Amino acid sequence: MREQDAELFYRIQSKDEDALEQLYDRYEKLLFSFSYRMTNNKFLAEEAVQDVFTKIWSKQRHFDEEKGKFSSWLLTVTRHACIDLLRKKKEPTYELEERDSLHTQEPTPEETVEWQERGEEVRKAVKQLTEEQQEMIELFYFKSMSQTNISKTCNIPLGTVKGRVRLALKHLKEILASKQERGVQDDG
Amino acid sequence: MTVNQCDRLLDYFNNQLTEEQKAEFEAHLSECEDCRNELAELEQLTEDLPYSSEAVDPPSGMKERILSNVIEETVDEVSYEESNVSVSDVQNEPFKKRKGWYKPLVAAVLTLSLVGNGAAVIYVTNNEQATEPAPEPEEDASLDTLETVRTLQPSEGVDARATAMMIGQNNKTNLVVQAAGLSELEGEETYQVWVLEDEQPYRAGTFVPNEDGDGGVSYVMNYEGDHNFDTIAITKEPDANSQTPQGEILLSSSL
Repeated sequence: MREQDAELFYRIQSKDEDALEQLYDRYEKLLFSFSYRMTNNKFLAEEAVQDVFTKIWSKQRHFDEEKGKFSSWLLTVTRHACIDLLRKKKEPTYELEERDSLHTQEPTPEETVEWQERGEEVRKAVKQLTEEQQEMIELFYFKSMSQTNISKTCNIPLGTVKGRVRLALKHLKEILASKQERGVQDDG
Repeated sequence: MTVNQCDRLLDYFNNQLTEEQKAEFEAHLSECEDCRNELAELEQLTEDLPYSSEAVDPPSGMKERILSNVIEETVDEVSYEESNVSVSDVQNEPFKKRKGWYKPLVAAVLTLSLVGNGAAVIYVTNNEQATEPAPEPEEDASLDTLETVRTLQPSEGVDARATAMMIGQNNKTNLVVQAAGLSELEGEETYQVWVLEDEQPYRAGTFVPNEDGDGGVSYVMNYEGDHNFDTIAITKEPDANSQTPQGEILLSSSL
């Protein structure tokens, strides 16, 4: 039977290299793709993924099973790693271009298939939001802007930022929930 | 003026607070149920968003780089800048392990701009270079220039990697080679860097990797006459004194 993520996590914290590799394989593509979405830079994205696993390996981050799913926690850690790197990025990055041209097409693990299906749903749902709501999500979540910056960028009062962000996110969640309710018959 | 901590929820979620503000907010969080609930709600509302990222293929070799870096990271956290050494300290000593496979290049390139300020790149002379003192950092403020960067390709059956950089410095060229994934040496064996011109090899630095297989050397290229090197290669030699390669080429690149 497939080992649970959380079990792998605990094994990694006791310095089990096999567990590290297993968890890495499971999440490599999702974390990289998400980091790339956040940073728009392959080198920063790789660095973010490395930071995430380094923090797990060196026990700088702790997962609490009571607080939710491992994957959600891992993605939050990844997002924070990206934000930190973007903040530090002021210095120029040096890119070896040849690295980008070498892609290996690895077999797609079941996790990748799963999240890509889910991702397609989320992308469709986002498109159903108003443009303003889409922008709110982009600036708040993917650009991780401060409240002040969102207020300036969108030219809206500071006090209304939170409400608008929440509204956009809630709306998205409702669209996703209604899709799931309608379920399989709609998918064809 | 007191800050309304509840107003910081979004910035906390977005990791936009200073360390101090963050600590303040976390203290607040333990007392404010509203904020705890709102934070939990935000986490729940955003949990689908990462999945909307378009799938991107990771760069080749990323897995090997990350896994080896993660595991080694905890062993040795010496950064490039900290590993500056002077000629009197070290001979043929491998570089300290650094994080990130491409980061050393970044660090080295950044270092170029610092040299004028007295923060020097690493000088490690080879045996035959012992009479050639490395310039004192404060002595000359001329700018270094990165002339060449190469990734060396491993020969068949070799699972190692290396990069070479030529840095022009005070009218000389510094060849900086660093390698990883090298197999352990026995006895007096060393790894030898060569530069070749029409198949004629010239010694270009000797090093011994650490127990993780990482090593490197900075070598002042100072050969008599004019040369136009076409190849760089690394071999394993029985000792540090080979004048011509005895071992097979493990890694190489054209120049």
